[in-house]
Amino acid sequence: MSETTSDHVEHPSTRDYVRIAIFLAVLTAIEVALFYIEEAVGLRGWEGPLLIALSTIKFIAVVGWFMHLRFEDSFLSKFFGAGFVLAMGLYGIMLLAFGAFALFG
Amino acid sequence: MAETFEIEEGEDAPRHDTAADDHHVVHESTGIDNRKLGMWVFLSSEFLFFGAFISNYLLYGGRDFATTVPRDIYDIPFTSISSFVLLMSSLTMVLAHHALSTGDQSGTKTWLMATALLGSVFLGGQVFEFYEFITVYDMTLTSNPAASAFYMLTGFHGTHVAIGIIMLLSLFGIARRQGGLSEKHGMNLELVGLYWHFVDIIWIVIFTLVYLLGAS
Repeated sequence: MSETTSDHVEHPSTRDYVRIAIFLAVLTAIEVALFYIEEAVGLRGWEGPLLIALSTIKFIAVVGWFMHLRFEDSFLSKFFGAGFVLAMGLYGIMLLAFGAFALFG
Repeated sequence: MAETFEIEEGEDAPRHDTAADDHHVVHESTGIDNRKLGMWVFLSSEFLFFGAFISNYLLYGGRDFATTVPRDIYDIPFTSISSFVLLMSSLTMVLAHHALSTGDQSGTKTWLMATALLGSVFLGGQVFEFYEFITVYDMTLTSNPAASAFYMLTGFHGTHVAIGIIMLLSLFGIARRQGGLSEKHGMNLELVGLYWHFVDIIWIVIFTLVYLLGAS
């Protein structure tokens, strides 16, 4: 890792990485369980927000810990975040304009 | 990682006035290695590529067509296992990086190979899924806009995985040939790792939006 930007920050140990992976696996299992619960009894439209929330947590965990972004210079976070926000904004507006969110009821 | 260079103590070597310059000179104005910055900018731009394909699927995936649409034939248990495999490959990738940072060259090679194998399992699953969709359900790239959007998105992601596997195996080959990865190749491992994790986070989004929400 970076000598200039992240040497002074204590990085996760092997055990920490395994814990994060288990956490991610559990979240994935919950996602799949939610899918089947929705199929069986229905979640009254809550499955969309819940699945997106779980997916967001997984996304942040991988970017923050596995990609080490939370230990890096904030400059990199800004670059990475800018691309993400730009893409979300651009395609979000486009999808709203075309009514694609009707897909999720 | 900021690139640092050892300054040779010869007649022609550059002279520096400050003590800080005696041994290491940071050449990047940002203080961040240009290769690393370049990789992050590249990955940032990839959001726009994948965003276009995901949006395309969201536009057409929920519509009805005369021929088979992807949402009717998803095999969620199978895709869930594939997702789990790719997620675990992120763990092995970060363990490879961690092993190198602690000087464990043998561990680095082992985890690199494990990552490549898990990536190959994921890719094999995707090939199997495509094969089933085409042969059993007769859903091809040109069947309807929903099928086209699905194949373009998942195929584009699969291509990224395949490129990642090639890079991982290349690093493994270098490590095996040279008896370990040097500092220079250590940076390459970090860059490949960033790319691999990015492929993983894109799949996290695809799995939720395309498979779970698409099929429910």
